[in-house]
Amino acid sequence: MIAAVPSATLLGVDGRPVAVEVHVSNGLPGFTVVGLPDAACRESRDRVRAALLSSGLPWPLRRVTVNLAPSGVRKGGAGLDLPIAIALLVAAEEVRPERVAGRAFVGELGLDGSIRRVPGMVPLVDAIDATEVVVSPTCAAEAALVGRHEVRVASTLRGLVDALNGEAPWESPPAAPPAIPACPPELADVRGQPLGRWALEVAAAGGHHLLLTGPPGSGKTLLARRLSGLLPTLDRCQALETTRIHSAAGVELPADGLVEVPPLRAPHHGASSVSLIGGGTAWMRPGEISLAHNGVLFLDEMGEFSAAVLDALRQPLEDGVVRVCRARSSLTFPARFLLVGAMNPCPCGEGGVPGSCRCTDAARSRYGRRLSGPLLDRFDLRVPIARPDVGQLLGGPSGEPTVSVAERVAVVRALAAERGVRSNADLSPRRLDQVAPLAPAAKRVLEWRLRTGALSGRGLHRVHRVARTVADLDGGPSVIGEEHVCAALELRAERTALDVA
Amino acid sequence: MTSPVDLQEGRLPEWAYSAALAGLAYMTWDRLTAVLAEADPAEAWRRVCAGRAGAAWARAASSTSVEQVADAHRRAGVRVTRRGEPGYPSLLAEDHEAPPVVFSIGSLEALDRPRVGMVGTRRTTGYGRDVARELGRDLAQAGVAVVSGLAAGIDGASHEGALAALGGPPVAVVGSGLDVVYPGHHKGLWRQVTETGLILSEAPLGARPEPWRFPARNRIIAALSQVLVVVESHAAGGSFHTVRAAAERGVSVMAVPGPVRSPASAGTNRLLCEGCAPVCEAADVLVALSLETSGSTPRADRRPAPSPEDAPVLEAVGWEATSTEQVLVRTGLTPSRLAVALTHLEADGWVRNLGGWWERAAP
Repeated sequence: MIAAVPSATLLGVDGRPVAVEVHVSNGLPGFTVVGLPDAACRESRDRVRAALLSSGLPWPLRRVTVNLAPSGVRKGGAGLDLPIAIALLVAAEEVRPERVAGRAFVGELGLDGSIRRVPGMVPLVDAIDATEVVVSPTCAAEAALVGRHEVRVASTLRGLVDALNGEAPWESPPAAPPAIPACPPELADVRGQPLGRWALEVAAAGGHHLLLTGPPGSGKTLLARRLSGLLPTLDRCQALETTRIHSAAGVELPADGLVEVPPLRAPHHGASSVSLIGGGTAWMRPGEISLAHNGVLFLDEMGEFSAAVLDALRQPLEDGVVRVCRARSSLTFPARFLLVGAMNPCPCGEGGVPGSCRCTDAARSRYGRRLSGPLLDRFDLRVPIARPDVGQLLGGPSGEPTVSVAERVAVVRALAAERGVRSNADLSPRRLDQVAPLAPAAKRVLEWRLRTGALSGRGLHRVHRVARTVADLDGGPSVIGEEHVCAALELRAERTALDVA
Repeated sequence: MTSPVDLQEGRLPEWAYSAALAGLAYMTWDRLTAVLAEADPAEAWRRVCAGRAGAAWARAASSTSVEQVADAHRRAGVRVTRRGEPGYPSLLAEDHEAPPVVFSIGSLEALDRPRVGMVGTRRTTGYGRDVARELGRDLAQAGVAVVSGLAAGIDGASHEGALAALGGPPVAVVGSGLDVVYPGHHKGLWRQVTETGLILSEAPLGARPEPWRFPARNRIIAALSQVLVVVESHAAGGSFHTVRAAAERGVSVMAVPGPVRSPASAGTNRLLCEGCAPVCEAADVLVALSLETSGSTPRADRRPAPSPEDAPVLEAVGWEATSTEQVLVRTGLTPSRLAVALTHLEADGWVRNLGGWWERAAP
């Protein structure tokens, strides 16, 4: 007997449809899986056998061949356990073929016959071309996000077989747990730091990458962690993109399955290049930059990251996608994120205040070189953060709350959308001249800075874009005034604290 | 200095052996004095080669070619003089810690002028640099030879000022060999000092700037100075080596006052507490040197007065480094408005930006 059941396997952040074919014939009893299965996939033989026996279902003492078509694509993970078991039952005539027609199955089997969740449910279900999908109840919400299939749930193999045979009703999907409103860190908690708060607002409004430098304890991390709360919530399309990536990487999803709040990823500075960019040998996993897609990538203690890892960020920062190539496959991961870096101005950390650093010149210049010029250039905003005054920490009024800042950010983002870009940071130089003409006074300031060498030609466009954002926050005048350009220059300290001897 | 005739006769000049001896590892001035006290340089070199001064130096000496040392110094035009020889700076000859061998380029006549040592921290603030540059300029204009160490920070700024004045020639005492520019970014300054003034060292060509050489170098700066000015120094900075050496030699020490909260001025303010005379302008130093101070007129402030909008911002920026945040809090302006004011003030030379920190600038 032969039977085929549709399912899917994961490759990077995309699902690939797989047809699970099982052939049961006379011959020496045996069980073979062909069609480029990986180790987890080949081990399904033992899980399927134990699950069938514990569920009181027969294990055919005949020759069983499982083919995972198309045979040329590598299959990984345990998600094919359930389709193999079902196809086997159909081939062994325990379930009638018409009962599984139009149904796809995704799930891992426990030895006791329970059906478990597998990572990447969103892209897997998206790849399946069937009217119904059967999954574990724990990932029903995730599977339902795609919206093209009817999602059936089954918690055990026995229950599933009975439902397929019409001997028991289908389980009803679990009620979605009440959505716990995500509460990102509140901006009002930050006392003082007027410049830092403003830089955060500009970064969120214009999508400008932000580098905070300052001594330890000045509040860089506190500020940076509050950036994702200022960004507008993701629209349906962006949310699905981000959810697919998070799902594929096995990151825990919110209760209703959809990632609507811009994610904040903060990898430790020991991160390897592959963990940040994505890749791996057997299973191509999206890296931290892809997990931060449509959100914020926060690199704390940026000076401690290895230089090679940081330089690997340059291409994705420019393109918004990262193409990971390995001998066996090459994949494109989406990676459009807002980069926020925080670092000390020098190894001793006190270099910000002129004359108080204890480092040797050599140590300072070594530290300054950790960030390559091209990478440093991609930060539109480079803001020195000073320790707040004691008076402000204890007695100062608490700052503006996240909500009111987020409102202004949303207005600026809407203006950018009218210009046909996601954010002002994406404006091309030509478009910039159209949508952000400079007032004569603004031109004079830029000329002076260029002449004195305080501004490089490369930095000019970036300052221009930031000036557009500052003007948008200032009520959106069409002509960029002197104050907007001055503010943009102030936020992009070309002479960073790192350079001051 | 010996003529090349010696070489043609196949015999190496005595100074070549002095230079070779000074180039051995960890050859401090007192060790070299001891080595040269027993015999003349050629004989001392033979004794070292024979292992009379230890196996390590014997090994090092056997791999050193005195011919090459002599050749290098002759080509670079470096004067090598032993204590007691003609051409050795007479100011050093009487010193109780006199360097046994001195390497120099430039005119020794620079030392006949009034001499003021200027020292200070390498980790300066904008204030320290400015004051050092101004003092160097005004002193040189008054015909004083500014003696300093060509190190980063105050040393370099003092000589920059002295060179700008085209007055008294600069005198530099360096810790490394005269061809080893340290720090590297002082290459241009180093060359200008060599061309217009006098540069001295205890170390032969090629000597690395090892840390132990600098405290030793400082005693020579003290010995060459009539007055020592400390411009900016941390609480336990290297300038105190020079201050101590100056005190031992009876050279009067003066200090430039700084903001009491600036760590870079902690050392100089301490010196003032202990009774050093303060330096507020070059005239204070010239008075200490008993020189006339005529001709020094206060400079006119040519900067345009800040506009009424910008004036409060200038008030909020302190004479010590003030962060942008502090200025924001003090003025209560919006960040954009503040940025405009600071840009105007910077363009007109009222304030200076130090990577996110602001300082008022003197005219």
